[in-house]
Amino acid sequence: MLLNGVRKAAIATSRGGSGYEMERTMAISLRESVQQVSDPRNLDASVEEVFQMMLGVNCRRDPGPQSTEPESVTAVVGFGGLLSGACVFNSGREAAIRIAAHLTGMEFDEVDDTVKDGIGEICNMLAGAWKGKVPNLAANCGLSVPAVITGSDYKLHVQAPEFQLHHAYRFEDTSFEVTIVCDGIQ
Amino acid sequence: MSEIRALIVDDSSVMRKIVERSLRQAGLDPLVVYEAGSGTDGLEVLKSKQVDLILSDINMPSMDGLEFLRQIRAQNLAPGVPVVMITTESSEEHVKQAILSGAQGYIRKPFTAEQVKERVLPLVNAA
Repeated sequence: MLLNGVRKAAIATSRGGSGYEMERTMAISLRESVQQVSDPRNLDASVEEVFQMMLGVNCRRDPGPQSTEPESVTAVVGFGGLLSGACVFNSGREAAIRIAAHLTGMEFDEVDDTVKDGIGEICNMLAGAWKGKVPNLAANCGLSVPAVITGSDYKLHVQAPEFQLHHAYRFEDTSFEVTIVCDGIQ
Repeated sequence: MSEIRALIVDDSSVMRKIVERSLRQAGLDPLVVYEAGSGTDGLEVLKSKQVDLILSDINMPSMDGLEFLRQIRAQNLAPGVPVVMITTESSEEHVKQAILSGAQGYIRKPFTAEQVKERVLPLVNAA
């Protein structure tokens, strides 16, 4: 799976209104603040914020072994503008169902359209919270609408990323992963 | 409180339900909710229903929330009805664009029910 589709959508979003002009004039400042953009603490803070506020639960970084469930759920939200890339959420079936249940107050026994919708929204909020941690990025980087993929035996490919953050988290007794892939900074 | 009729516009059905739940938790009761999955659908609802409050996402396919806002004003739909944007976009530039397009309030995702109460209730009470 390549990121071209979500990236194009995010670029189109970021060029609406006056955003494109700001992108041009502020190009130097984001390149100079790349250390701030790639600070791994921003991702942890974003995950904690989204899970506490929207699900009412805590989650923590988990360096242990991740889910080996054959069925997985992946949501992708593309970044476009000063920074291009994507925020990727990935979990097994069980974690996806539990997250959707907390989010909606409903019960699920399969990864149906509502679960996929909920996971897409979680990824959307993670992407928004993460880019909101860096002021220049918040104003000059658009988000695509989420794309959600379910199935097994698939991989996400990014060619020569500028940087990548990949963190695993534990939520109740399940786990999930969040990846920020940046393949271009202007 | 008299019955409040709210239009919630978001391409995510899950997010529409979360916003509805937050409105009820904020004390908007009795509450009648109309839902729309895009700005285009939201305009159709406003052509046939009277509402007291509009809450809209910004980043949506087909017609985004800012264009939806501009169309509400251009077509003189729901005059005087407060509009609150609920979105992941949180920069000052996005807030400015929303206000210039006619929004009275702005809530950033993720949000708590308390934040919805703080930003929505004063607008409903003043309307």
